[in-house]
Amino acid sequence: MKIDKVMDRVTHTVFALFLVVWLSVAGIIVWGTWRFISHYGFLSPILSSRWNPLAGQFGLWPFILGSLTVTVLAVVIAFPGSLALSVLGSRILQGIWRRYFVRLLMVFVSVPSVLYGWWGLIVIVPWVRRLSGTSGYGMLSASVVLGLMILPTFSILSLEAIRQVPESYVEGSVGLGATEDQTLWRIILPAARPRLVQAALIAVARGLGETIAVQMVIGGQIGGPGLLHPAATLTTQLLTDLPFLPPGVPGHDVLDFMAFDLMVLMTIIVWLQMRIGSWRYE
Amino acid sequence: MTRTSDETTPDIEVHQLSVWYGQTPALRNVNLNISAGQILAIIGPSGCGKSTFLRVLNRMIERFSDVRVEGTVRVGSFNVLDDHVDVTQLRRAVGMVFQHPNPFPMTIFDNVAYGPRIFGMRSSTQLRKTVEDSLKQAALWDEVRGKLRRGAGTLSGGQQQRLCIARALAVNPRVLLLDEPTASLDPVSAAKIEELIVQLKSQYTMVIVTHNLQQAARVSDLVAFFEQGRLIEMGNTQEMFTAPREKRTEEFLTGRFD
Ligand SMILES: Nc1ncnc2c1ncn2[C@@H]1O[C@H](COP(=O)(O)OP(=O)(O)OP(=O)(O)O)[C@@H](O)[C@H]1O
Ligand SMILES: [Mg+2]
Repeated sequence: MKIDKVMDRVTHTVFALFLVVWLSVAGIIVWGTWRFISHYGFLSPILSSRWNPLAGQFGLWPFILGSLTVTVLAVVIAFPGSLALSVLGSRILQGIWRRYFVRLLMVFVSVPSVLYGWWGLIVIVPWVRRLSGTSGYGMLSASVVLGLMILPTFSILSLEAIRQVPESYVEGSVGLGATEDQTLWRIILPAARPRLVQAALIAVARGLGETIAVQMVIGGQIGGPGLLHPAATLTTQLLTDLPFLPPGVPGHDVLDFMAFDLMVLMTIIVWLQMRIGSWRYE
Repeated sequence: MTRTSDETTPDIEVHQLSVWYGQTPALRNVNLNISAGQILAIIGPSGCGKSTFLRVLNRMIERFSDVRVEGTVRVGSFNVLDDHVDVTQLRRAVGMVFQHPNPFPMTIFDNVAYGPRIFGMRSSTQLRKTVEDSLKQAALWDEVRGKLRRGAGTLSGGQQQRLCIARALAVNPRVLLLDEPTASLDPVSAAKIEELIVQLKSQYTMVIVTHNLQQAARVSDLVAFFEQGRLIEMGNTQEMFTAPREKRTEEFLTGRFD
């Protein structure tokens, strides 16, 4: 009884603290964004490509495009592997093998992103360099690194999605004479589809926010068009420009605006994810 | 539905069938025969091996891990327990209906067309005809015509169970296995399923597991009473209910069973 009350108070306090911190961060970002927009407008910086914040040029389009391209490509790269691993872990491996497999995935989830970036630096970048003759830094390398980084998370979420499919569907299908393969493609994966899409969206959200691993291999400047030239994303550019645009410097507000854009993108993903969560087959 | 089997050889022949889950025996030396077009009802207390017996007949038993099956089972021309038997063809010939209706999360049409598509039917006219015929056979057509593109989940529990029967019939099986097909349904829906089973009699050889003794009496030609994995007694339905040979059977039928 007494402990319950203490626990109650602790949770309430923690929640209140969390709310205060969150609101103040959001408040700072929104406030900076407001100042930025009232000076430079909303759409024109988003659509412009000229970036020279110290000279008052705030074209964010290359970074937005960079974020979206790298993230989407990473999910596309990770998708087949994740699907294969999740099928392996949910339908093929049995008993302890299945448990060890999931545990192994968990280990990969918990590898810090800087290690993925490092691996990208010593493996992927030279590899892309050799194949393409460019520097090797760019969106392609970043997508591969990010793809590998989200692979374990994506696999675990997909594995859960597949596990949610009722065994009675499988029995119904196999009982009609369908093979395990036919059952997988025609029953299990379609039935798991809404949750698989949700898993992909969570992976997208994860990828969109990733900074370090991407920064290490993307090149960090606006290069030429295409996937093989150095580029930047919203998050990596934030990281790059933070030291040059401390509070008080004119142009500092653009950082808030970039953070705001990221938040908007994330919100769209969360919203999509919730919409899909309510998909029901009638 | 012409069946070429002659009347004298049984459609299902089970000889010295034993099943173990791990070290625990679930069926012990079961012997029985069923002629084509007959309905066998299996009765017995919970855990006596009824579902196990059904799942041997279409080898669904092997989906459980650590199962051992011994004996010989013949269904039509299938030597069921032979390692080389084509399990997909066996299961096509031996349809199964489960205790809880388990339509796939697809349209009514796609549910019934699932089996035929699996076995390579592509022509949409053929598929439409098969779906319509199967739904008519399962006495569901009148309720769902014009709604075939709706999700199967929109149907009532009883309708879903008839849909599952239609789905099984669509691949033109020879045998139907029904594991407590009405146990999860309300009395009206259950009565409809029962009626349907009687209608399908003679076209299909059927084995139905039921806890409802009146149901067994109403639909079946033969009754088998299982207890602790053994077939205690099997006989003509009327004789079993009026004059069982075994004392245990009589006790079970009269409810004086412990
Ligand atoms: N997959 C399994 N693994 C291990 N033991 C099992 C398995 N399935 C059934 N058994 C056991 O085998 C015995 C027979 O089970 P079965 O399901 O065939 O009984 P049943 O007659 O269908 O019972 P009910 O009327 O409750 O459905 C029971 O003791 C049960 O606990
Ligand atoms: Mg059972």
